[in-house]
Amino acid sequence: MALRIDPEKNEVHALKAMTDWRNKRVLEIGCGKGRLTRRLANLGAQMEAIDPDRKLIASAKKDVPGRLADRMRFRVGSALDLKYPKQTFDIVVFSWVL
Amino acid sequence: MVHALHEAQRVLQPNEILFDLRPAPVHRRVGIQSDTGVQEIGAMREDLTDDYVANRAVKQVLREGLFKSEKFTQFNCNRVMDSLKEFQTWLLEFTTLGRERSTAHDWLSARVERAYHATPGKKKVIVHSPLMLRRLRNLGE
Repeated sequence: MALRIDPEKNEVHALKAMTDWRNKRVLEIGCGKGRLTRRLANLGAQMEAIDPDRKLIASAKKDVPGRLADRMRFRVGSALDLKYPKQTFDIVVFSWVL
Repeated sequence: MVHALHEAQRVLQPNEILFDLRPAPVHRRVGIQSDTGVQEIGAMREDLTDDYVANRAVKQVLREGLFKSEKFTQFNCNRVMDSLKEFQTWLLEFTTLGRERSTAHDWLSARVERAYHATPGKKKVIVHSPLMLRRLRNLGE
């Protein structure tokens, strides 16, 4: 079996304890393969997720569960030049990138 | 990093939330988990410079009045690897991405290998890495 990160889901439990994610427009910066993106979409967030690595984004797109497909969108992108208008999101998450 | 925080603030609604989630500036600990529990093998000696730089970037935007720090927590995050090979691959990738020389953790790899082979039964390699999570409130308009 492959490497498993945070099988106890401590990360998403901590994030859940800090705000209500339902129907929030969320930008995740540094999404990698979308591990946390899926977990936040499961909490009801509308996820926009970016990462500068094309291979990771391609992998993330392949692993989107059908039931979450309308709540997750992955794009190649950099934290230094966000291609979104002002005040687009309710929540921004720096995911292991700062 | 400061520029990235400015960008994030630009795309965030006024009075809404930014989360800074990342490894705490603490050395990761490696252990072997078996039926009898977890045997600690050693702590990594990774370079934590980038973590301190990130902390300074957050402090700067707080000083600039872009955000207010509201909540902070720290918790454990485990990486679980079912085989020695997976651990060695991860360690090599980790050191290649970081500032360390590729041989910087050879001592740890050797210790984990010895302990892994000496542990009977089903076993896993576990890397404990504390994560920190900070909630920042956007004070911009």
